[in-house]
Amino acid sequence: MAHALREKAAISGVGETAYTRGTPKSGLALQLEASLAAIADAGLDPRDIDGVVPYFPGGGIAEDFVANLGLPDLKLSVFVPMGGATCVAAIQTAAMAVATGVCKHVLISVGRTGYSGARVSTRLQQFPQFALAAEFEAPIGMFAPAQLYAQGARRHMQLYGTTARHFAEIAVVTREHAILNGNVVMNKPLGVEEHHASRMISDPFRLFDCSLESDGGAAIIVSAADRARDLKKPLVTIMGVAEGHPESPASIAQRPDLLEFGLAKAAPRAYDMAGVGPKDIDVAEIYDCFTFTVINQLEMLGFCKKGEGGPFIMDGRIRVGGELPINTHGGLLSQGHVVGLNHVVELTRQLRREAGKAQVKDAEVGLVTGYGDMGDGSVAILRRAA
Amino acid sequence: MNAPAPERPLPTPTRESQPFWDGMREGRFMVQHCAGCGKARHYPRPVCPHCFSMESTFKEMPTGGVIHTWTVCHHPFNFFFKASAPYVVALVDMDGGVRVNAPLRGVTEADIKIGQRVKLGFEPVTKEITLPFFVAD
Repeated sequence: MAHALREKAAISGVGETAYTRGTPKSGLALQLEASLAAIADAGLDPRDIDGVVPYFPGGGIAEDFVANLGLPDLKLSVFVPMGGATCVAAIQTAAMAVATGVCKHVLISVGRTGYSGARVSTRLQQFPQFALAAEFEAPIGMFAPAQLYAQGARRHMQLYGTTARHFAEIAVVTREHAILNGNVVMNKPLGVEEHHASRMISDPFRLFDCSLESDGGAAIIVSAADRARDLKKPLVTIMGVAEGHPESPASIAQRPDLLEFGLAKAAPRAYDMAGVGPKDIDVAEIYDCFTFTVINQLEMLGFCKKGEGGPFIMDGRIRVGGELPINTHGGLLSQGHVVGLNHVVELTRQLRREAGKAQVKDAEVGLVTGYGDMGDGSVAILRRAA
Repeated sequence: MNAPAPERPLPTPTRESQPFWDGMREGRFMVQHCAGCGKARHYPRPVCPHCFSMESTFKEMPTGGVIHTWTVCHHPFNFFFKASAPYVVALVDMDGGVRVNAPLRGVTEADIKIGQRVKLGFEPVTKEITLPFFVAD
């Protein structure tokens, strides 16, 4: 029997601000600007929104949405504190809310002043999930995800022979896709040599292995599928969605396998709910806080075996026009860092055939992931149902 | 006018972790063990995830271990570490069964290998706090 949530909810609206380095706007203003764009995209009125999942900590809470958008009857206010896995995990929460009739239209939004506001090592101190890292890792000089995740990347290289050339392939192809998109922070071509020559941040991560500190906002609306069918845009349904939490969730150091995290648990559940497998995926937007993270996730998603992610992404396979186009918008590495909600926006546009020069031909089924907060994972599988 | 020297980030021991930090100050590597099933757990926490006992004791464990993986921190992310960058941080499988992340000293980057034996050292940084580091064993 099909899972009770399969295709019961849809992404009915998507919106973004410009992605920049530098903005006079607050994180809240960016969230609201993107939210209004998503509401207009769906053909809804702001007062139709009756559930909100703002990004936390990100400068906006449910009260701000009621006050700014004049929401007359908000029925659901939730935070999903999963770092980079937040946005896709929030789709699961929203889908449950609209499928059960608790809400009609749930707004998920992110606004971030990662360039003009507080930088990463300061921002993370706001997360209660980082308390262990603050006590045991920061005093010995490990503060940022670039440092904490680097140890897993190094181990993958030592065990499986993954190389900087593999990392560079992710960076270079993602940049090519960003240039096709246009609304991006990084709009000049990047070569393999330039990647290799960029300064070391935390070995094995060089500058161009790391995602951007940028300013911007994104938003999506999740509606019941039968309601979304009557809205403005082609119907994109949520076939499967899941979140997963790893062992030792707040400390990477104590995790039995540094290369096995929440996504390994979430992926089989999402495929099962969707009734499809890796071979059915036409386009994938993979959370790219680091180049290596994409390689590691492709393994956990079953696109290739553990340890084979490096060779898998080579030879044009992940380019638009290739067998499995990845991060067709430029991702967090080249478009902008809005905690991966831009990945959901892009996948929705791909399936609506609104992706412009980066359009993957005949895209019917796509996959998007979230990853963060020391190894939480989330994944959604969407389908063009129009 | 000179800017004040950046302060070293220090741990704030909790009710759960205080015995670990007390041990470090005394030059002893103390690991929490469940009083019910005997399993070691690190970092310290109130309940054993295996048998759910809330009783525990801290036992002194051997300071040897093998490198699980490492990173070399070039960009310091915190001004205090600017002077010491680049520095190696090794994640070590301790002989007693838990892992410790700490700076690895006196080893050339090119010579680091998974499985290499190292030994935990104790570096007092304040009257209260002693931090771990590793050297080749």
